[in-house]
Amino acid sequence: MSGPLEIVAGPLRLLGRISLSVARHAGGMSLLVWRSAQAAASGGVRFRDVITQAYVIGVQSLPLVLVTATLSGVVTSQQGGYQITSSVPLYFLGSVVTSSVILELGPVLTAVVLIGRVGARITAELGTMQVSEQIDALYSLGRDPVPVLAAPRLIAGTLTMPALVAIADAVGVVAGMVAARATVGLGYESFLYGSRVFWHSYDLFYSLMKALVFGFTIPLVSVHMGLLTRGGAEGVGRSTTASVVFMIIAVLVLDAMFPPLLLN
Amino acid sequence: MIQYINLHKTFDRPVLAGLDLEVADGETLAVIGPSGTGKSVLLKTTIGLVVPDAGDVRIDGQSVFAARRGLLAQIRRKVGYVFQYAALFDSQTVYENVAMGLPDDVQAELGPGEILRRVCASLEHVNLEPRRVLAKLPAELSGGMRKRVGLARAIIGEPRIILYDEPVTGLDPVNTAAVEKLIVEVDARLQATSIVVTHDIEGALAISDRIALLAAGKLRFVGTPQEFRRSQDPLVRAFADRHAAAEAAASDQLDLV
Repeated sequence: MSGPLEIVAGPLRLLGRISLSVARHAGGMSLLVWRSAQAAASGGVRFRDVITQAYVIGVQSLPLVLVTATLSGVVTSQQGGYQITSSVPLYFLGSVVTSSVILELGPVLTAVVLIGRVGARITAELGTMQVSEQIDALYSLGRDPVPVLAAPRLIAGTLTMPALVAIADAVGVVAGMVAARATVGLGYESFLYGSRVFWHSYDLFYSLMKALVFGFTIPLVSVHMGLLTRGGAEGVGRSTTASVVFMIIAVLVLDAMFPPLLLN
Repeated sequence: MIQYINLHKTFDRPVLAGLDLEVADGETLAVIGPSGTGKSVLLKTTIGLVVPDAGDVRIDGQSVFAARRGLLAQIRRKVGYVFQYAALFDSQTVYENVAMGLPDDVQAELGPGEILRRVCASLEHVNLEPRRVLAKLPAELSGGMRKRVGLARAIIGEPRIILYDEPVTGLDPVNTAAVEKLIVEVDARLQATSIVVTHDIEGALAISDRIALLAAGKLRFVGTPQEFRRSQDPLVRAFADRHAAAEAAASDQLDLV
């Protein structure tokens, strides 16, 4: 091939490969969603499996979510207090902390906790099942892995994440309030007054909508990547790493799409 | 009857290249061949775990790849699959693993007492004492026991076809002989059609009605164990002579003893 064509061909090949990969993942995940919905609608998903996954995703994640939410509230309060002292009335700190925690930190940090604690675990678990032929064994027994493995995780993630985020929001705001009193001397009543001044009930809906979307996305990506795993123990490591990166990017991109879609 | 019709499959290189083969009802066929020649892939295409690039697999005249999901699940219920490393579900006990071999609708009809009875019977068929293993997790079992539990899971539904993917790989000679004896007993009891993929030539000659030798994705030889021993094909000879050498070595050992 001549020189100029070769210069164009390289990037085009790369673009083609990336497009194919994106299309393959998008197709795979769409199929997973469709088949999970079919399984749920036809009653093929066992309630016990959903409860088990809800316990793993929700209850077992709670301690880490509480720690993260507390720290995010404390840090936001301290840094906000440092910035607004002697520039605007201190009670504004209540609004800064409440809005920051509810609109952004609560849902996003809870999602990050779930990616590390639950998403990576799901990919590694299903990846191991894939490379040790346990998924093939399910098929060979005339059973579909989607209602058994995928759908319970998707349903449990979607249902438990809003509850986790609601708890994280509440804990983050309370922790911020306590920290504001301890660090900049802002009393609880002033903090709550500041919170109420710019409060919109819609903010809570916005926060829980994020939770719903993230709670669906994390198990979806992790299950999809787990089922794609090939190549033994090394393959499990590779797909788990790729899955975590994929989930973080997905959550951040979805997070960036929320303000233009829901805050206008 | 199982029919493999002009099967082609390429991964990073061609694995199956136009393979045709028929396995008659009640027959035990051993599939041997050098590593990487598509033996396990052939087995997996039988129930649609691997989809070929071209060709078809038919079970009792029904195409596996033309079947929709529901029908495919029904076809798979006719088949018991014994995986190379047993593929037991890690998080489930031996009881739960073996019971998984019974479809959900059958389990609902049977009730817990009858399921337990059948699980125990299936474990006894593979010479495992139910009382000692029922509550154990796969990680608590030895390699040989895991293979037996995998076999118990495959046969609990009394399948008409049993596929064995290297059932004796990684086992010591005592367990190898025990598992091969079990295969013969199970096949006789269920009057099942069996395909055994194996590297163990001695076992293949002992348990099979016919032997198929795969090489370069094609059928190089298919015939009875006697025909296999008499064949002048160089590759068949290489496998048969290895068996003869192993037998001679075993005989020498016995003389020494």
